[in-house]
Amino acid sequence: MIWEVFRQEKTGGYHTHCGNVHAPDREMAKQFAAVQHGRRKPTNSLWVVPREEVGEIDGEDVVFGGTTDKSYRWATTYNTTGADAREVAESEDEQATAEKQRGDD
Amino acid sequence: MNIDTVKERAGPREFSPADELPREYREAATRMIEFHANSEIMGAYLERPFIRQAPSIDRKLAFSAKVQDEIGHGQLLYRAAESLGVKTREEMLDDLANGDGKFLNCFHYPMESWVETPMIAFFVDGAAMRRQATLRRTSWEPYAHAMDKVCFEEGFHVKHGEDILRELMSGSKKEQQMTQEAFEEWWPRIIQFFGPTDDKSTHHDFAASVGLKQQSNDDLRNAFLDQYIPKARKYGLEIPDEPRIRERDDGTYAVEEDDLNWDEFFTIAKNEFEPGLGQINGRKTAQEAVDWVRETIERDASAAGGHAPQAAD
Repeated sequence: MIWEVFRQEKTGGYHTHCGNVHAPDREMAKQFAAVQHGRRKPTNSLWVVPREEVGEIDGEDVVFGGTTDKSYRWATTYNTTGADAREVAESEDEQATAEKQRGDD
Repeated sequence: MNIDTVKERAGPREFSPADELPREYREAATRMIEFHANSEIMGAYLERPFIRQAPSIDRKLAFSAKVQDEIGHGQLLYRAAESLGVKTREEMLDDLANGDGKFLNCFHYPMESWVETPMIAFFVDGAAMRRQATLRRTSWEPYAHAMDKVCFEEGFHVKHGEDILRELMSGSKKEQQMTQEAFEEWWPRIIQFFGPTDDKSTHHDFAASVGLKQQSNDDLRNAFLDQYIPKARKYGLEIPDEPRIRERDDGTYAVEEDDLNWDEFFTIAKNEFEPGLGQINGRKTAQEAVDWVRETIERDASAAGGHAPQAAD
């Protein structure tokens, strides 16, 4: 039986997928995960999940978001004249950062 | 916690639902946040017709996104208000429908023409943002958190509103003239956004002493004038002669308060202004028209959620 393994590096961080193990049950899967995926790399916690419990949907099944142009929703789109109020400039900066992190428009 | 302790501790984001707070604080915070939430909703209803009347597809998309944002801000704020335990969300929405709920003076006036849209979307939203930025330091933590999200989104509204103003004021002579007329009509109301002067403000002292309110009406109004008078002039708008505006030696501005129509302002504040009643009733009708949607969702949710008593129970 295949178990997918997710590792969290620090308290409060996300568990992200890092590989899988072959094990007969959950207890063995946890032990194998600790040995194969928890060592050397920084680890705070591991999750093991039976592969058949994982649902998957990909780009062939569905069109994911992020391809539609929604630039009209961002302050950065509009060309105005003169210095903006401090709070407007702050909001625009926060939006520019979020836009960059999302990597879409 | 008694009121003296509240006043002593009152700092930014100091109090949360985990604290036991005196009724006086919770009522003052409820009044303030409910007013704010109601204003988001009533503003959205005022702007909604302009999704349909937008002159281009870009404006239509942006206007629709903005109206959607404002309704979302209302939802965030009703959450922050109901966490005080004084009024439920349903009570606040019912009060808004039956004419007991109070909201911003500017949203009691009807808006009929596209040239009026930057008066709300640039000037009123700009004024609101000035005030909201200070409220990120309010002492009621859920209110401050709501302001983080609201301020994040609001920059788009102000810039979009400013962009509409820029477009109109660089358009045809007729467009410029109509925009100027709309500005003259809205300008005094926009200044009154910040409420009566400090000496006539009923709730300021207490709200400030417990850290709910961060800046006085007068300070906010002056900061707004300093920022937005130069902006208005930049786009070619002429500031009306009344109310008289005084330019100080340091280039900052102050308004002659007696030139403003305070009788109308206080009539509005009591929800007794005729056009405002039209706005209130219009929203009430809309709320009733979609009752069936809420009922359907709630019925489905209780059927699927299994909260309804089962025969076997």
